[in-house]
Order: sequence, then structure tokens, then C-alpha cells
Amino acid sequence: MHLRYRPTFRGTELSLLLYPALLIILGLIMIVVVPRGQVDWSWNDIWVGIAYATAVIVASIFLSARGFRGDQVVLPLTALLAALGLLMIQRLTPDLAAAEPGYGSLAQKHLIFLAAGLLLAWSIAMLAGPMNMIEWLPRYKYLWLLLSMALQLATFVIGVDVGGAKLWISVGPIQIQPSEIVKITLVIFMAAYLDQNRDLIGTTWKVGPLSLPPIPYLLPMVLMWSACLLSLVALNDLGSALLFFGVFLVMLYVASGRVVYVAVGLISFAIACYVAWLAFSRIGIRVQNWLDPWKDPYNTGYQQVQSDYAISSGGLLGSGFGLGSPTFIPQVQTDFIFSAFAEELGLLGTLAILVVIFLLAMRGFMIALRVRDGFAQLLATGLTTIIAIQTIIIVGGVTRLIPLTGVTLPFVSYGGSSLLCNFVIVGLLLYVSSLPKRV
Amino acid sequence: MPRFLRFLCILAALAIIGVGLFTSEELSDARWLGLLAIAWILLLFGTRMPIGPDVPTFNRAVLRTAMTLASMFAIISAQLVRIQVVQSDATYNKTAKDPTGETISNPRKTSAELSAPRGKIYDRNGTLVADTVKDGNAYLRDYPNPVTGYVAGYFSPLLYGSSGLESSRNDALSGKESIDPVERTINALLGRQQQGLDLHLTLDTNLQQTATDLLQGRKGAVVVLEVATGAVLVLASTPNYDPDRLVTSPSGDSSAAESYWAELSDDPDAPFVLRANLGLYTPGSTFKTITAAAAIDSGLDTPTSVYTDNGELEIDGRTLVENNRPDETRSEWTLEEGIEWSLNVVFAQVGMHVGADRLWDYAKRFGFGEEIPFDLPVSESQLASDRDFLGSNNALADTAFGQGEIQVSPLHMAMIAATFANGGKMMRPYLVASEQDGDGNVRNRASAEVWKTPISSATAESVRSMMVSAVNEGSIQAAITPGYTVGGKTGTAERGDGSVHSWLMAFIGDDTPRYAAAVVLEEGSDSLGTSVAVCQAILEATITSLG
Repeated sequence: MHLRYRPTFRGTELSLLLYPALLIILGLIMIVVVPRGQVDWSWNDIWVGIAYATAVIVASIFLSARGFRGDQVVLPLTALLAALGLLMIQRLTPDLAAAEPGYGSLAQKHLIFLAAGLLLAWSIAMLAGPMNMIEWLPRYKYLWLLLSMALQLATFVIGVDVGGAKLWISVGPIQIQPSEIVKITLVIFMAAYLDQNRDLIGTTWKVGPLSLPPIPYLLPMVLMWSACLLSLVALNDLGSALLFFGVFLVMLYVASGRVVYVAVGLISFAIACYVAWLAFSRIGIRVQNWLDPWKDPYNTGYQQVQSDYAISSGGLLGSGFGLGSPTFIPQVQTDFIFSAFAEELGLLGTLAILVVIFLLAMRGFMIALRVRDGFAQLLATGLTTIIAIQTIIIVGGVTRLIPLTGVTLPFVSYGGSSLLCNFVIVGLLLYVSSLPKRV
Repeated sequence: MPRFLRFLCILAALAIIGVGLFTSEELSDARWLGLLAIAWILLLFGTRMPIGPDVPTFNRAVLRTAMTLASMFAIISAQLVRIQVVQSDATYNKTAKDPTGETISNPRKTSAELSAPRGKIYDRNGTLVADTVKDGNAYLRDYPNPVTGYVAGYFSPLLYGSSGLESSRNDALSGKESIDPVERTINALLGRQQQGLDLHLTLDTNLQQTATDLLQGRKGAVVVLEVATGAVLVLASTPNYDPDRLVTSPSGDSSAAESYWAELSDDPDAPFVLRANLGLYTPGSTFKTITAAAAIDSGLDTPTSVYTDNGELEIDGRTLVENNRPDETRSEWTLEEGIEWSLNVVFAQVGMHVGADRLWDYAKRFGFGEEIPFDLPVSESQLASDRDFLGSNNALADTAFGQGEIQVSPLHMAMIAATFANGGKMMRPYLVASEQDGDGNVRNRASAEVWKTPISSATAESVRSMMVSAVNEGSIQAAITPGYTVGGKTGTAERGDGSVHSWLMAFIGDDTPRYAAAVVLEEGSDSLGTSVAVCQAILEATITSLG
């Protein structure tokens, strides 16, 4: 019998996973102890942490047992971010529930999504190899494109309005945020398309005396992306639109090696922003909230002003977990979770989060550089870019570096669709890292 | 790009960010973002390493992408340093008004102020002036006695902020300044409540009550000081307000407090302006003591120097009429008799004799035109709105007997009386005797300090004895208190509309004066007699109860 799985020992991963495991258990004790003002906790209070720590360590052991030979750093970094997110949601839940009883089960839901996400990532990393994903993912590229467009269309038609933007569709009792799925399917499509046309895209197209980019090959892709982008803008999901656009430019650049595409893209983006600013009053409000939310602090600027207060109150070391008042910020658990960290963990905490996400991105690029398959290279680059750019968009937004456009902080913010899809990215990155390397 | 240029770019980027952070207070958000954008572009150039031609296109592009994203993370970090550390205090305390005029401020400030037990305020005998009571999760202020409450000020973090000692001593009361830094850091790390420090005042609730009773609701002020130390025993003002009625609970209804606030704010008598330290009045003849002190201290006169006063004096075409002579047949009066009977014609001549420069100089020595260091804000007294005002003889003469443009606060007037009683030393007035922690350990104790020494002790003795004569032999015999030596000087401030404010500044003691007081009553017809009676009564009550 052919022995399919030869066990391996993933020692690096296992030892690195001890940090998030310790972090979540100690953090939960803190969250329990702080409001009571005395060192007094029971196992009941920290079962969530133990469950989470066990889950990530078991995931690693299972990877070892089945002989998975991929990257050993991505999972611990992801687990660390997710642990921080889970801790913060746990810490926010009682405060949020005090104002709005519906939030009482927030932490449980988050934990369930986290567990499901971990399982999803693990399954993809494990099963993609035997299923030979690297063959059929690019083969059905137009299926991914169609799926993306169908999801966008569905959002348009049956989308539910939550807080001013139609971002959700309801499937039975569950609400899904299709743009989270689309960001992955579009990257798969784009990686496949660019890989198949890589040689052509790097060339020039001669029209008489003019040397132009190979427009016949670029055009279909540009059009399809534009459709998705425009639909996001029309849905007022500007954060996702910005994210897609950034990922699009990066993938085009790494496939072609031509900066000029990026330059043209950025210039047209600038023009589009200017036109939008003139055309839509809601863009003007965003700009005002970015430069001076204090002009209308009780109305349009309220969330941003509260976030500014929270961030400023943290200082270097922060108030300590559970000792701040981040729930003064409306919707702190999603878009503004970074402000909650700024308040309670201070500058050191926020820099630590940025460093972890940065390391994750660098690891992702490393995976992309090592793999032999051209499609996998582009896929890993695109997926990694999603995480990096999404972080820049949301952290830049809440810190008022750029206008705020709502996206989640990867692995940290509350939000089922976002968590699950980010874990799909992790699974795909792990899978790519296990593929044959370049020499 | 050559390595040297790249190095320069990175250096320039760091320099721009450094300068931006260093000068961040003057920097608007938009300008700072502009600087960051420039720094980012420099960083992009600075990190553009040469990549060998043998490196595949894909690798090159991924490396460049990674560097670009890294530079963005670096810029975000710079922004975090600015908003979380450099600008954190400014943003934390920032307030803004929305288009309808409503103010927004950091809700953490309010909840921090209500979530910790604030230090209590006691008077000199341990009677509570301001208490802290627990109301659910919040600690609320309670002012048990309306005669002392307004001296503490109001503390209303939910609605109106704070005033008085509640504001000026907030760092102690909130516990912010308390305790050593190590303990404070440990408390902050453990999330322990910061126990505020208690204030122990020099104020005497009983005497404050007596003064309030004596005022009988008349507009005015009573201030009593301990001569040797400058400790403030009484600081009574009418009208005033009851800070207890401005306290609101986070869970309760605040409409009563809001309507009381509106009532106080609309009151034309301005009850928030506490007369004793914030009121300014023309001193009238009380100022003659300073004119006399200037003349004696500069060696121009002695108490026995003789001036002519035959009922009128013509100065540059204006005739000054004397109404205060006890004997209309006499026209020769000594300086001492001028004080005893408050002779305007005598002091008009003393003033012109002393001259504008010296008078200005002595007024300055007595603290006119200067902020008085005190635990509460004090309005600044003035001799004249401008030095040039004293250029005319008439203005100089008017000023010398206390009219003109002089303005004095009652607290300052009491300090002037105390200076003559204290050998020429003007003590720094103080209201907070000590700050103590919950266990009664004294953290901070006020001490008697000389603020100014405007005149020699010999001059002070001369003026002191003239003020005693004014009581014993002159026009203020109503202030005679059996068993004690009292000195004083009245003042009647004539106002433009014909109404008068009446003053008495005085001191009481035996061989050495022990307590000094100033009383001012606004706009009463019989008020000069009343001022004398009030002042005498409060001084007698003080020396009887405190010895």
C-alpha cells in the first residue's frame, strides 16, 4: 500500500503557538479579574481561552500527523492575531451587552466563527493537495469570475442595508458579506488569467508607430474588475473598492513588472476620487471626518471623535486590558477595534499588532517567491496583499491618516464572513507553501 | 539610485517626521499629513534598493511591493506615535462645539472624575465643607453647609465643570498629584481607585456663619485674616450660590440643577462673582492709610506733621469741600487727626506732597496692579487705569483720599489692614492649610510666608497707632470693643450715580493685633454705620472664639 502521509514534526510551529496560547489564557484571566478588582477566577471564566489554545495546538499536531510540510510561521502569527481579537471581543461583550442585550452572545459567536475558520484553514491546507487544487483552481477561472459577479449582483438585488451600506445578503438565518468572498474569488481569477497571459502582458502592442501595452489582453480583465469596483462604489462599500483596486494594481505589477500600470492606475484613481468628491456629498462628509471630525462632533463626526478620544487616552502603555472605556465608540467591535487596542494596550500594543500583521505579510510574500508554479506565485501574492492592504486601509482610516472606509482588521475584528474568508486565505497560503519549491 | 542618495532620503524622511512630532502642537492635522506624505515619498526612494538584472521580474516586483507596503506601515507607525503619545494630552482634553453650540468633551474625563472617591474638604475645626457620597457606581459631591459651600466652589463634571477650590485644587482632590509616583504607577497598573487627598482649610464655619448672619443678605463681603500668618478665617460673600444644588447624578434627573444654573446665570447681581475675592470696589478713605504710610515711610511727614484745612481747598480751579472736621473753627490739623477724622482736604495736600511717582510706587509695593497669590482667583487691584491718570493735581488729590480710579478687592483690603498690624509685612493669604491622605498623613502643608514688605516696621507702627486713635478718639468709636485694642479706617466710595459703597478695614488684638478684617457693603444709605458694626462684631466674635 502506498503510504500517503509520512508524519513530520512541526516543532517551530508548535513552539511558536505557545505564545498565543499563553496570551489568550492570561488575557482572559485579566479580563475576568480586572472588573472584580480582586484576584479571583474560576476555570469557568477561562474555558474559552483553553478551548482556543487547544484548538490551535491540535490543528498544528494534526498537520504534523498528516505529514504537512508547509510553512510553520503563518499559523502562529494568525493565531496570535485571532487570539488578540478574541480577547478584545470577550472584553467588550459585557460592556456592549449592558447597552444592547443583543450583544450578549457576541463572544460566543466570535469563538464559533474562529473555530470554524481554523477548521476551514486546516481543511484547505490538508485537502487541497490530494484534491490537486493547483490544477483546477486556474482551470475554472471564469467560474470564479462569474461567481464574483453573481455575488455582487445578488448584493444589489437582495442586499440588506446595515448602517448606510448594502453589504449583506441574508441566507436563511445567516447574513453573509459577499464582498469578503469576492475578494478571494477575484484574486483566484486574476492570478489564473495573468499567469496564462503572463508573457503577453509583459510585451508591447505595436499600433503603427506607437508602442502600447497589450490592450487586447488587458481589456477584458480591466473591464471585469471595473464592473466589480463600480458595483462596490455604488453599494457605498468604498473600503472594499479601495482594497480591490489596490490588490488589482499589485497583481498587475508583479505579473508584468511594469510600474507604468501602477502609475496609470493611481492617476486614474486620483481623478476618480476627485470626481466622486465633487459629485457625491457623502464623500465630502468623509473628507471632513478625515481632516476635521470636530466640526460636527455629535453628528457625522461622532464615531471618529470618540475614536480619537479613545486612542489619545491610551498613551504609551495603555490603560490596561479591561480598564479603558472603548465602548464609547459606536461599532467599536468591527471597524474601530484598533482604537480599542490603542486605548487599552497603548502605543506598544498597536505597534505590536502592526508588526505581527507585517510579519504575516512578509511571510506570505516569501511563500510566493519560493513556489515554482506561476499561478500559485500570483495567488499567494494577491492573497497576502489583501491582508496587508486591508490593514493599511482600516488602521490608516481610524488613525485619520486617510479617509475612513470601513473594512475589518484581518483576524481581529468581529465579523463572521470576514473571519472565515481570512482563514480561507491562510489555508490557501499554507497550501501554496507546501507546493514544490523553485530551485 | 546611489547608496548615498538613498541614505540621504531616509535621513530626510526621519528628520521631517522628527520635526513634525517635535513641533506637533502648532501643526494642524492637514499639515502634518502633508509632511507625512513627503516623508513617505522620500522613504519610497530611500528604500529602493538596486536589484540585480539576473533577478526574475516577478521576484523584483514582489520585493518592491513588499518594500512599498513596509514604508506604509512605517508611516502608520509615525502617525500612531503622534496621536497616541505626542498629541495624546491635547486630544484627550479637547473640546469642540457642534453647529448648534453644544459642546463635546472626552467622556472619560467625566467618568474618571465620578468613579473615584474625591477628597473631602474640612474647615479648621474638622467640620465638613465638601463631602463625597456614593451613589450607585458614582461618587457625588455633597456640600452640607451653604455658608461654606461656595468657598469650595461647585463640582459638576456632568454639566458645568468646576470652580473655586474644586477647580484650583483638582489635582489634589482627584488624587492626581497625590502619593509618590511609584505608588501611583502601581495603582494605575492594577486599576486601583485613586483616593483623592482631603483639604483642611483655615476657614472657620462658625465665624463664616456669623459673618453671613451679620450681612443679613445685604450685597457685600466680609474677610477676616489672621494677622501673623495670613490664614483666611472668613471669606463671606453675598449674593452667593449653593453648590449642592448643582450636583447631578449620572442616573438621576438634572433638570433642577439646570434651572438653578439658569437662574444664577441670569441674575443681574452675578452670584457667581464672589465679592470677597473677585469683587472690586473704590476704597474711599480707607486708602488714606496708604497715602499716610507713603508720606511717613519716605520721610516726608510724621504723624504730627501739620496741614491746613479750613473747610475748602482750591486745586487747579476746582474747590474741594471738607465735611468731616469735628470742629469747624479749627484750621490746623495733624496727619494723625486727618486719619482720625478722615479729612479729605488734609489728604489731598498729603497726596500732592507725596507726588504721583511715590504714590504709584507705594501702591505697587502694597500689591496694586499685581496678581495676589492665593488658593482662589483674586481680582487684581489697581491705583489707576493708567499711570498718566495721576498727572493732574486733581486726580492725584482724589486718589490720595481714595477716590479717582482706585479699585480694591475686599481680600486685598483685609491684607492691607493686616500689614499695618503686622509690622509692615504683608503675608501671603492662604485658605488651604494642608492636604492629607485618607490615613491622616499630611502630604502638603501651607506655611506662613511674607509676600511683600511695603513699608518699614516704624512706619507700620505709626499707621497702626493712628488707626487705633481713629477708633478710640476719632470717628469710629462704634468699633470700640471692651477688653481689646481695635484699630480701623472707614471708607465711603462715592459712585457716579450718587450711591455709595461703605468700607471698614480694621484689626483687633491686645498688645499685638491678632486678626484683621475688611467689610464692604454695597449701596446702602446707612451703610457706613452698618459696616462698622458688622466689622466690629465679626472681629469680636473671632477673638472671642479663637483667642
